[in-house]
Amino acid sequence: MFQLTLAIITRRLMAAIPTLVLLSLVVFVVLRLLPVDPLATLLPPSATAADSAALRAQLGFDKPIPMQFVIWIWEAVRGNLGNSINFHQPVTTLILAALPATVELAGVGLLMALLISIPGGVLAYVLYQRKREAVADVAVTLLQSVPSFLWALLLIIVFGVLWPVLPFSGRVGQEVTLPAITGLALIDLLLAGRLHDWLSALSHLFLPALSLALSFAPMVIRVLRSGLIDAANEPYVEVARLRGLSETRILWRHMLKNAVLPTITMIGVQFGFLFSGALLVEMIFGFPGVGNLMVQAVKANDMPLIQGIALLFCLLMLTINAIVDVTYVLLNPRLRSP
Amino acid sequence: MNKTIWTNATRSTEHAQETDLVSLPHDVLRRRLMLGAMSAGIGTLFPWEEAFAQVVDKSTLAIAYPVDMPTWDPCAVSIPTLQCVYQTVFDSPLRYSPNLKLQPRQVKEWKWLDNKATRLEITLRDDILFHDGSRMTMEDVKYSLADRPKADKKLLIGGMLSTLADVEVQSATKGVLVYSRPNPAAPIYLGFLAVYIVPKAYMSQVGVDGFIAKPIGAGPYRMVEHQRGSRIVLEAFDKYWGGAPAIKQVIFEIVPEPSARVALVESGRAGLAVQLPLREVQRLAGKTGITTKIYPYSEVYMLRIPSYVKPFDNEHVRAALHLSIDKAALSKAFYGGVAKPLSVMATEGTPSYVPDFKFPFDKAKAVAELKAAGYSTANPVAITFLSTNGTFPSDFDMARAIVQMWKAVGINATIEETTPAKLTEAAQSGKLTGILLQSWANATGDPENYVGKIFDPRLRFAAWKDMALAPRIDALTTEVDEAKRMAGWKALNVESSEKSWAIPLMQAVTTAAYASMLQPVLFDNGYVLPADYKYK
Repeated sequence: MFQLTLAIITRRLMAAIPTLVLLSLVVFVVLRLLPVDPLATLLPPSATAADSAALRAQLGFDKPIPMQFVIWIWEAVRGNLGNSINFHQPVTTLILAALPATVELAGVGLLMALLISIPGGVLAYVLYQRKREAVADVAVTLLQSVPSFLWALLLIIVFGVLWPVLPFSGRVGQEVTLPAITGLALIDLLLAGRLHDWLSALSHLFLPALSLALSFAPMVIRVLRSGLIDAANEPYVEVARLRGLSETRILWRHMLKNAVLPTITMIGVQFGFLFSGALLVEMIFGFPGVGNLMVQAVKANDMPLIQGIALLFCLLMLTINAIVDVTYVLLNPRLRSP
Repeated sequence: MNKTIWTNATRSTEHAQETDLVSLPHDVLRRRLMLGAMSAGIGTLFPWEEAFAQVVDKSTLAIAYPVDMPTWDPCAVSIPTLQCVYQTVFDSPLRYSPNLKLQPRQVKEWKWLDNKATRLEITLRDDILFHDGSRMTMEDVKYSLADRPKADKKLLIGGMLSTLADVEVQSATKGVLVYSRPNPAAPIYLGFLAVYIVPKAYMSQVGVDGFIAKPIGAGPYRMVEHQRGSRIVLEAFDKYWGGAPAIKQVIFEIVPEPSARVALVESGRAGLAVQLPLREVQRLAGKTGITTKIYPYSEVYMLRIPSYVKPFDNEHVRAALHLSIDKAALSKAFYGGVAKPLSVMATEGTPSYVPDFKFPFDKAKAVAELKAAGYSTANPVAITFLSTNGTFPSDFDMARAIVQMWKAVGINATIEETTPAKLTEAAQSGKLTGILLQSWANATGDPENYVGKIFDPRLRFAAWKDMALAPRIDALTTEVDEAKRMAGWKALNVESSEKSWAIPLMQAVTTAAYASMLQPVLFDNGYVLPADYKYK
């Protein structure tokens, strides 16, 4: 089992290298072909074209694009993604500081989505070919048609303004200082034994994570429901019924385990959706993650930072795909045979 | 608060529980009691005081603000919206008063030593302390204004003080700013963008990166925490030369989304929110406990015209473009009538404003001008109209309205949505494809930063590139007679409007909503400076 897992990870890593290089090249070239001035905010109103040219040369933007790319990729391999034009800091430092917040947000968002979608998917299956099936369909369609940023605004209005029970700005309360251990607030505060502050972090995370979860959950509900419908026609279900097992037991103990496989694939594929959703959600909630950083980078045409974040997203997607592959093997015994 | 919630919950289920408890098996009953106790325990731990944060704490002010600080080196960037935070942490050599009068600050006196305006003597206050307790001296001034920009060309302060050749230190509090050419408007830059004094000793010791990580200024507040993209926490500096500010802690909540800023002030979680949508401000005005302001400030909405694009080289077409715009109607439609229509590139009350000059809205005359250029409604002139969408309030909507006004007289404009960065790139490479809608910020109100920059053909973002204007602008920027300087700028203002080298539309407006208990000071340059605020 361990060898197989290792083999999958190794295979994925090998495949990741050309993907990363290709993506870096595409992002690099596209950013440089866009008719925008990365120095727009770096020069004062009195700057002349000569000043602009001097700064362009200083930052290396005057070199041919292929040469700029070679320099960038060589430095990137050594862990140096360059300096942010806007923030005047190394890109790596900025990304590493913001990444834990996004990982935490996406992780809790995924957890919430599963808490909503697994019972939701089972319920949707239970209602299959019943009178209330249409109601469930409408509800899922309605959930699916609302994007995460709209959920964010709706949740702010409901739980922040009309019934103000949850905070909706920042990562923790104003009086809380996060200990620097892993960067994940929930874990760090728990490790520090600060339960009150931990709840503050959780309460700040609740609405942003729920915004992501509510737009992610409907997809999982649909796939899970289809999986359960397919599983219901499998011979092992009939056998279980003949053995006298209750429908509830068959559903939760046997059908769900098999129906969840395509769901896991879908979650893996769509996990990037959570990260892209985090772009706007983090901005709306003033959540200091990579999405927020990306929005600021795009606004400022901060090319090195945009490139760095694009590379990070690619790495994350490849990692998630590898995790999905491994999970698939763990759950499906048929895949373990050589 | 949590007690009330539990009481209500208990009361509502009291009867049901009484009947159920008897019939429940013992282990189920025990499990429920344990769950209840756990829930109660967790409930007491929950930070309810944060959730119900509407209670006003007069020692703290949370400000919902749209932009974050990219760097804590105040000399590195010249973005106008960041200046209020920099001024709060670093203070400034001079400062503009709420009605845009240049006032002493860290520099208590300034005077020209020669009649060519090349040697400006400044006297520093002798009671200025940096946040680490060290005293500010002229060595810090020299280091910040002259030495650093010479060593690092990327620092924006170098561009703002481009003619500053040296700083001669005469004593700890006295020095001379030496300019390479006459620069009568030099003092205004001591209260403008990127010109801040940083501690030489500290910066030399920790380096720029160390400084950015832990900045030290000499302003009324010191920076205690910055969660990038989320929050900036400032604490009152009790040794500030002007006395400790009334509000002890100021928190800038970074919220780029306007609706979220509205929600923060509406829910009481922020004491002040700025740059809100006009409609939302009008809605909030009806709420108890919230005061709202919609007020004009020193920014100008304008149309800039690329002189090298046809048919903008035709003076009749330009005149028609200008004459056919009903500026008052635009102000009423998009800015509640608060934005004052302008005929020149200066706002009312600033030194180069020309109150007697009014450029008319005259559709008949516009039609006549177009006819002189060979166009009519039957044979309309086609132009491209570049507009941003969301860079300033209602920009794109205003562009669409202007297109309709032009259409009525025989101008067919096609709107092309763009971004400020794209505009800068296109202007710099001389590839602007059409007339462009822009907002021009000038926190000083001085004409050198209005017409002096807008029509300077040598600048990288120039649109109207008439090289004949360069010597005229140079003469005005070096004119030492203040009366002549202003007369010259006013003449350029009027001529540029009459000949429609650019089209001034109206004075920009900004918005604020705040807790009625707060007494903010609203500045004509739109700055948010909490050191001047207090609670009733």
